[in-house]
Amino acid sequence: MDFDFSDQQYLFQETFKTFLEENHDLRKHVALLEDDGIDADLWQGLADLGLFAMLVPEQFGGLGLSFVDMALVLEELGRALVGAPVVETIVATNMVVRHGSASQQACLLPLLAAGKLRVTTALVEPKSGFGEQNIQACATATGNGWRLNGHKIMVPHAAAADLIMVAARIGPMQALRLVLLEPQRDGVALREHSTMDPACRFYALTFDNVVVDADDILGAADPHPASLTRLMDVSSAVAALQLTGIAGKVLDIAVAYATQRVQFGKPIGSFQAIKHKCADMAVAIDAARSAAYYGAWAVAEDAPDRAKAVSIAKSFCGDTARLVCNEGIQIHGGMGFTWELGLHWYLRRAKVLEFSHGDAAFHRERVMAATLAELEGQE
Amino acid sequence: MDFTYSAENLRFRDELRQWLNDNLPKGWGVTAHEPKDEDERARFRLDWERQLFDGGWSGLDWPTQYGGRGATLIEQAIFSEEMARAGAPDGLNIIGRNLVGPTLMRHGSEAQRQRYLPKILSTEEVWCQGFSEPNAGSDLASINCRAEREGDHFVVNGQKVWTSFAQYSQWCILLVRTDRTLPKHQGISFLLVDMKSPGVTVRPLKQISGESEFNETFFEDVRVPAENIVGELNGGWKIAQTTLAAERGPGDAMARQIRFKRELDRLIAAAAALKRGSVSAIDDPVLRQKIAKSIVEIEIMRLSCLRSLSKMVKGSAPGATASMLKLYWSHAAQGMYETALETVGHLAPLTDGDPLAPADGAFQLGFLQSRAFTIYSGSSEIQRNIIAERVLGLPR
Repeated sequence: MDFDFSDQQYLFQETFKTFLEENHDLRKHVALLEDDGIDADLWQGLADLGLFAMLVPEQFGGLGLSFVDMALVLEELGRALVGAPVVETIVATNMVVRHGSASQQACLLPLLAAGKLRVTTALVEPKSGFGEQNIQACATATGNGWRLNGHKIMVPHAAAADLIMVAARIGPMQALRLVLLEPQRDGVALREHSTMDPACRFYALTFDNVVVDADDILGAADPHPASLTRLMDVSSAVAALQLTGIAGKVLDIAVAYATQRVQFGKPIGSFQAIKHKCADMAVAIDAARSAAYYGAWAVAEDAPDRAKAVSIAKSFCGDTARLVCNEGIQIHGGMGFTWELGLHWYLRRAKVLEFSHGDAAFHRERVMAATLAELEGQE
Repeated sequence: MDFTYSAENLRFRDELRQWLNDNLPKGWGVTAHEPKDEDERARFRLDWERQLFDGGWSGLDWPTQYGGRGATLIEQAIFSEEMARAGAPDGLNIIGRNLVGPTLMRHGSEAQRQRYLPKILSTEEVWCQGFSEPNAGSDLASINCRAEREGDHFVVNGQKVWTSFAQYSQWCILLVRTDRTLPKHQGISFLLVDMKSPGVTVRPLKQISGESEFNETFFEDVRVPAENIVGELNGGWKIAQTTLAAERGPGDAMARQIRFKRELDRLIAAAAALKRGSVSAIDDPVLRQKIAKSIVEIEIMRLSCLRSLSKMVKGSAPGATASMLKLYWSHAAQGMYETALETVGHLAPLTDGDPLAPADGAFQLGFLQSRAFTIYSGSSEIQRNIIAERVLGLPR
């Protein structure tokens, strides 16, 4: 039993933290609002540090590491507000490693490891809530292959992605599968959303008789029956780590401000009203870390309690980021409410993540169901 | 990071499961429960603790030379998981095991460790904690209870308050003022006091739960042998910090989450048995959200203990971060009891003694007891000050 990271894992964290502090400050983040929203230099820098190779097995040019090795790095990415499609590409990489066919792995993994492929994921639909049973996008059989029809929303950076991993029902059994397709494919229409977090480009996708063949399905002729569940669990675990990173950053900013801002002749951080808020934020973040790190382990190891662990993490870290972003702004007073200061970028990213991959209510219900199943198993 | 169990770990788990199966009272948790009467309950808990000791399951993390098992961290984790799973009872000598043990191991002389530690685990000697006074609560360093040196003894005069289990205790860790001329933190010493000494009077205090676990304790010309001082004369404040960190830290919290998990299981069972109109309470989506929130929070309590213990194994002292754990669990557990009452809804006001009270009034009693969580071992306000100043570095 060891619920701590290794020296090497802390070193990974330090490396990325330093790189991100030097290469992705809030000013650069705001600059992303212009053009296509992708910072190619940042992407290349992350690739040069080996970020995209971490989860790829060595035989495909990767480092053969796990989500436990990545956990602190993902927290740093969250902290620095690095989002799509960096994070989605990492998630998709893990999906190809776990459930891709041999030829998909041979073709995609070397490119992914080198950072030469951008992948995003398309799960949620406009007319239903979270959860795999609510997926309606559907591919029906034709002479050769299938035709995909349906809608997706909140697909990050779909226009800039090389591939989109789409959750859809396939064939007469309506089996839930993951389909890999290019955004340029005939019949795929993109519309950019207007969202809380304009720094992260989200798109609505419409599929109108898009041709899909067997090789487009993750796992090709032999797809894993639970690949979608895994994608949802991994996405939730990663979002939990990002949310924890955001909360940690906002607390640091708030503590620094409370230390230097003087009112009534004293730093406001010497007043208990402010101190106690900061303490509550710190306690919530520490608990969120316990949940998020265990979630990362459960996903890395496919632990028997993976679903419960991930849902504990996503619900709690979402709630924590909400508390910390709100209180962080409150501690800054009027300055906190300005566009200029930029605290709202953390609030915006946290809010989008809170409602991505299942909100707290969705995940708490999953925790309840898993707990009841456990208790039944004990009897 | 590793949570996997080796074959050896599984053997340890199976051995413990078997032992619990053989040693818990028949029908434990279903037809058999703890006695209602407080004194009987105290005896029951002490007997249970003795059984654990005889079976080799006491002081898991203590070194073997003091009667412990010298268990690994994973064995401690398995132990608490299995105890929770079996809904095993609490012990009585909590202060001895969780507070006095770690304090003497860190600051006691070898003679003191050999004299006192084994008898804590064997339950021969139960301990209480004489820290708070009527005028020294959150401002603990302002204690007034004084000890004066007379030959080879200290003579103690003063009053302590909130001394839990004093009525069952043979020994007390006592904070006393030994020098009034020094600044308040520097004139304090740490004594080990025999509760049978002439001049010690224990007077029970009735708590909001109706119980009398804690007491007022009076010391009138109590003679304490000079060798019963822990550490240096006037060096007691630093030693008290170790005791307080242990009280707030992961060892204590790990044991507590066993109880909270047991309560959650009971709550789920009660919700399944309780109708709300035509549906079972466990199918009510609002209650499911609330219960799930408590499941999440209590599970994180366990995870945070394991994280903290993992760091301690590598040599870091819990220090001020223990306050984070205590502040976290105390509020999480209070929330759980609020949810328990909301779950039983229209039956929530019924307490033990009423035949309609769900789970024999356990949730109502637990709820009342839980009001103390955010007060004892340092109130939440004190914990927040500690976290803000010592962890976050905000100005005093």
